[in-house]
Order: sequence, then structure tokens, then C-alpha cells
Amino acid sequence: MKKIFTVLSIAIIIVGCGGADDNDIYSDGFDRNALLINITDNIIIPAYNNFSTKTNELENTIDQFIAETNQNNLDLVQTKWLDAYMAWQHIEMFDINMAEEINFRKKMNSYPANSSRIELNVLSESYDFNDPNHYAAQGFPSLDYMINGLQNGITIYNGADGGKYLAYLKALISTINFNTNEVKNEWISNRDNFISSAENTATSSLNKLTNDFIFYYEKGFRANKIGIPAGVFSGSKLPQNIEAYYHNISSNNTSKTLALEAFTAINKFFSGVHFNNSTEGSSLKEYLNYLNATDDGDTLSNVIIATFNTAEAAINDLDDDLMNQINTDNYQLLVTYDKIQAAVPLLKVDMIGHLSIDIDYIDADGD
Amino acid sequence: MILSVKKYINAYTDSSPLVVFRIGFGLMMLFSIIRFWSKGWIEKIYIEPSFHFTYYGFEWVKPLGDKIYVLFILCAISSALIAIGLKYKLAIITFFLSFTYIELLEKTIYLNHYYFICVLSFLLIFLPLNSSFSIDNLINNKKSNSVPRWTIDSIKLMLGIVYIYAGLAKINSDWLLQALPLKIWLPSKYDLPIIGETLMQENWVHFAMSWGGMLYDLLIPFLLLYKRTRTFAFLLVVFFHVFTRVLFPIGVFPYIMIISALIFFDAKFHKKIINILKKIINPISKRLSQINIQNVKFYSNKKIIWVLAIFFILQLTIPLRHLSYNGNIMWHEQGYRFSWRVMLMEKLGYTTFKILDNDKNQFFYVQNEEFLTSYQEKQMSFQPDFILEYAHFLGKHFKSKGFENIEVFAESYVSLNGRRSQMYIDPEINLLNIKDSFKNKYWILPLK
Repeated sequence: MKKIFTVLSIAIIIVGCGGADDNDIYSDGFDRNALLINITDNIIIPAYNNFSTKTNELENTIDQFIAETNQNNLDLVQTKWLDAYMAWQHIEMFDINMAEEINFRKKMNSYPANSSRIELNVLSESYDFNDPNHYAAQGFPSLDYMINGLQNGITIYNGADGGKYLAYLKALISTINFNTNEVKNEWISNRDNFISSAENTATSSLNKLTNDFIFYYEKGFRANKIGIPAGVFSGSKLPQNIEAYYHNISSNNTSKTLALEAFTAINKFFSGVHFNNSTEGSSLKEYLNYLNATDDGDTLSNVIIATFNTAEAAINDLDDDLMNQINTDNYQLLVTYDKIQAAVPLLKVDMIGHLSIDIDYIDADGD
Repeated sequence: MILSVKKYINAYTDSSPLVVFRIGFGLMMLFSIIRFWSKGWIEKIYIEPSFHFTYYGFEWVKPLGDKIYVLFILCAISSALIAIGLKYKLAIITFFLSFTYIELLEKTIYLNHYYFICVLSFLLIFLPLNSSFSIDNLINNKKSNSVPRWTIDSIKLMLGIVYIYAGLAKINSDWLLQALPLKIWLPSKYDLPIIGETLMQENWVHFAMSWGGMLYDLLIPFLLLYKRTRTFAFLLVVFFHVFTRVLFPIGVFPYIMIISALIFFDAKFHKKIINILKKIINPISKRLSQINIQNVKFYSNKKIIWVLAIFFILQLTIPLRHLSYNGNIMWHEQGYRFSWRVMLMEKLGYTTFKILDNDKNQFFYVQNEEFLTSYQEKQMSFQPDFILEYAHFLGKHFKSKGFENIEVFAESYVSLNGRRSQMYIDPEINLLNIKDSFKNKYWILPLK
């Protein structure tokens, strides 16, 4: 009898201890909070502030265009649209919390734009931007269609249905600003909460940031900007699927410029470089170095950065007009894709392995 | 020799350890099914995926859609019946069949723990766990307070096999000489209170836990067998399993092992537990004790001995089958499953598939998320038989889409225990030409 109670009570004590929880700031010696603070305060929030300034400026030029619908004002809209689109490249990877909740990324940058859906929406004047069927009828790609893609745009805006087109333009930009404010304000109000969540669970800030970064590199960057147009997933090339398709027709360089800007954002995030200047702070790079992640004599972080650089150089070497590159010599794009791809196993396997980040929560016994 | 075997087979002992084991097993199973259900894993694992990975030889096990819930309910009811000892034989057979079917449905969630339950429940079919303190006793109006010794010993033997093979598997250079993968896992547990930032970061702790774990597995069955060390050993069992539960997401398994280890205690110990249970159900038991149940001698079917002999020979040989393959078993994983290799490796992979269309002379890559859930993709990416099965699935899928003359190639990178990731599958080999078998998988590139 006595024995049973001894055994049971010890078991209960041990189980009880296991369940204990406290709110100390955790670390394995590496200061994860410093990493989160640097990424949040010096990259994410400044990038959002910059982005929302740009989208507000865009809205102002659209208002001006609505007031005075002429080619000169349309040109202004096009310029401000590109500015905002460039700024967007710095925040697309942070698909976290509010952004994830409201499907911000999909609403802002699903391309190719669904032009027939847009036309339908314009004329019917009834649509729900929260409906997934309308993701490709809003955001930057749809603005691209509306301001760069309409043939004889200015005559349409001044034509019989001009008012409807202007109204849709206004609806697009005000939705962008509404959503952006929601996400930006949450980053600011939730900042303290976000940076203090440094534990190692599937829902902690660092794990989410890292997973989203890798997901973005693989999908938003590698697949959407290069892989899909090059036909990597379809066998046949899809040049109309490049980013900023309509603007690229006249500029002959928009898609490549946006891709390179996105790569700058990727490099800055990985190395913890501030959004507004070139100061370097705590980052995944620093964390990997701290963990002594080496790779055939070199550090894993160096290998990753070198792979990034090779990929970036390959994009740089492409024709300024990606559309032209696809149509004339798509092989170069496939080679570039492979060079971008080379970083994926390094991030997904080697980096995640070293950080030992929990991705899925399900019972496992390590086999 | 023959005489002593005969003598052993005919030896009888008190049945109460079997009773406690039955109740513990039934309740643990009931709890783990409810837990599995409440976490939404039935939906996530058995209903959401459009494609399921199956075991070699069991491809005929087909998903049931929503009807899978019926199987879980059946499994839960039979667990409860086992615990109370009502229609025991029918209940344990039902449990074994339903549980095993569920496990066979999806290879991605293979866990040694689940396999242990399949094997154990098969064994329990042949053991008289309802011989006393069961509802069956009331219905049949007879009980057996003593049972053949081998019935209890066979459970001990099964547990011994699990521990000793788990211990033998830990005798490898990664585990003992480099404290891998614990060196990777433990520091990432920095968020544990008290020990997280201190002990879990220490090199000597990683080594102590590696060696300690190996010695624990190898010695614990013997420490439990001898009366003098038994209580100490049981405390070790509790400590070890609870500690692993705190460190790793291994579900209910630690508790199952703790409850199972009670079987090593003698009848006196179990009678005390039964007496406590009797007190708890006092009002009913008073009335029950007035019913006069006949105590009869338990006779076992001699054929059962032969079934169990074959069963244990298989249990002893299956974990050794990896010896017929060359190379690092953690890398090629041939003979890895069903061998009590637990917590031995940190393996991560990234595998994509290239479909070559010979008619159009062009190729494209598959986006795995179109067919697999993230968990399936993760598991598929570093296990060769998964990669092969999925490649064949892709072949069938694209042939049905009108691509007639295609070849499927894997581009796979895998990292084992913190080594730099390296190419895993020969990228030049058309996987559609490979049939899964027990033959050496030559298309796995060797670990550098």
C-alpha cells in the first residue's frame, strides 16, 4: 500500500513539474528577443510605414485623376503605382498575424489579374473583395490592368462607362489602403507582444517569421516571379504570368526590377539589415553563426548568402524585359530558376535543422 | 530440458497482474483515442489528404472517408469493454483489427508507439485477461484466480524486446560518440522552465543523456525482473518516460509504458490495486460479493503456445532484418521501421519531382502541395519508400491527365543529424521503372 502511494505521488510530482509554465524570456544563450526587436523595429515597421506612405500618395494621384481625367494625371498614377509596388516587395514576406488573417498577400498581389472578372465587376458595380474569387480582381495586378492594361485607357475613362471605371479604380486603392492600415496598425499595437514571444513552438514569433520567410522565398519569389512564367510547373512557358505584365509591355523592365527589389528585401531580412539604411542588426544569419552552423569549412550563413548572390547575379544577367527573355531564350530563365532553387534546400533543410524549429505539431518519435 | 519447459508451461500463478494490466490498457487506449479525436487529427490525417501513403503489401487498405469515425468509435468502445472485461475476447479482437486498420491507412504517421499497440493487442488476444475481476466472470458465473505463468511472462517478454532493441539501436557512433541528435534537440528546448537555459545547453548533459538512455533501455527489463531492484527500476521508468514526455511531443506513449511496466510487480502489489478499485466501486461490489462465483482452473489451448512461439520468433527477427542491407540504416532506412528505433535521428529533407514528357520533349516540376498536406510532404521528403510511392502516384496522375510517355525523377536533399544536406536519390533514375521490394534500393545515393 505504502509503496503504491510513494510511486504514485512521485509520478504526480514529476508530471506536475512537467506541466509548469512561466513567462520568463527564454534563450539558449542566443538573444532571440534582440533578433525579433531588430526585425520588427528596423525592418518590418519601417517597411510598412514606407509602404503606407506610398499607397497614400497613390490614392492622392488617383483622386486627382478622378477630378481631372486626363493623360497627364494618368501618367502620375502610373508612376506612383510603381513606387508603391516597389515598396510592397519589402513586406510581402511578412504574412503573419493580421496579414495572414485577412489574406493580405493574396488580396494585394495575386497575378495574373483576372481581367474578365475585373470588367464584370466594373460594369456590374457589385463585388466582394473578401471573396477568394475576387483576389485576382484587386490589388496591384488589377491596378496594373486598370491603369496600364486598358487599350486607349484615357478614352475609356472619359467614355460612357468612364464613371464606373473611375469608381472601381477608387475602390481598388481605398481597399488597399484600408487593408494596409489594418495590418500596419496591428504591427504597431502588437509589437511588444510579438517581440516577447521567443519560445520554440509552432506559433511563436520567430518560428512564424522563419517559416514565412522560407515560404515566401519558395512561393512568392521563386515560383511566382520566375518559375511559373518560365513554365517550370506547367511544361509550357506562361509569359503572361509575369509580375506587372501590363506595365512591363511599355517599360520593358518592370518585372525584372520588381524581382531584384524583392531580392534586396530577402537579403536584408536574412542579414538583419535595417530597412532605411545599411546598418546590420541581429538576424537569422547571426543566429546561425551563433549556433556554429558550418558547412565544409565555411559557415552555413556564408553558403546561403553566396547562393543568394549567385541567384541575384543570374537575374541581373537576364534581359531587362523578362517577357522578351521568355519568348526568345527561355532556357536562361530555367537556369536562373535553378540558381534560385539552390538556396531552398539550404533554408528548408540545413537552416531549419540547425534552428530546430517546430513546424507542425503532431506526435512524433523522431523517426 | 524438455521436462523443464513442460514444467514451466504447466506452472500457474495468481491472475491479478493480468487484471490490472487489462484495466490499465483499456483505459489508456480509451484516453488516447479521445485525445487523438479531440486534437482534430482524425480530420487532419485521415480525411483531409487526397492521397495516402500505404505500407508495402497493404496497398489494399483504402481510406474510408467520413466512415473512419465509425472505426474510431468501434476502437473506443472496445477499449472500454476491455477495461471492464465485458465480452473480452470479442473486444480485444475488435480493438486489434480496428486499430491496426487505422494505422495501416496512413504511413506518414508511423510511430513505434502505435506499432507497439498493434503488436501488444495481437498478443493480448491469446491471453486470459478477463480470468478474474471482470464482468465476464459475472455472466459466466466462473472465474480463475490463477492462470498459467507464461501468460504474464509473455507480456514481460514483449516489453523486454521493445526496450532491448531500442537500447541496441542506440549503440551507434552518432548517438554515443557525438550525442546526436540530442545535441540538436535539447538546446532547442530553451523554453523549458529551470532546466531549459541551463542543463539543456550543456555538452555533458547531451552525452550523459545519450549514454544514460542507451543503458536505461538495455538494463531496465532486467532491473524490473529482479525483486530487489524492482521498485527502484519502476521509479526510473516513471522518471525516464515523464522526462521524455516533457522534452518531446510523444503523446501518450510514456504513460502506456509506465502502466505496462507494472506487470513486473508481483501479485501482492496488484491485489492491493484491485482492493483499492474494489473500494472505489464499493456499493456495487458489496452486492457482487454476495453472488457466488465459482473459481475454476484455467485451461489454455495448447495451440496458443505455438502461435505465441512463432509470434515471438518474428518479434525477435524482424528488428534484425536491416543487417541484410549495407550502409547507414538511418540514411537509407531499409529495415528501420518495426525495429524499436526511437528518437534516433534528426532528419529533414526537401524533395521535388521532375516530370519529363518524352512526347513533347519538355519537363515540368510538381508542386507537392497540390497533392500532399504539409505533414505528408515533410515525411515524404526524407524516406525513400515514400518518395517511390509518391513518384508512382504522380506517374499515374499525369498519365490520367493525358501525358502518355512520361518519366519521373526526384530531386532530393536530405540532412541527417546536423550534417550538411546532400543529394539523396539518384536524380538520373526514372522512378517509374522502380518497383518497391525488399531488394536493396540502389537508387539511394550513399551517405558521404
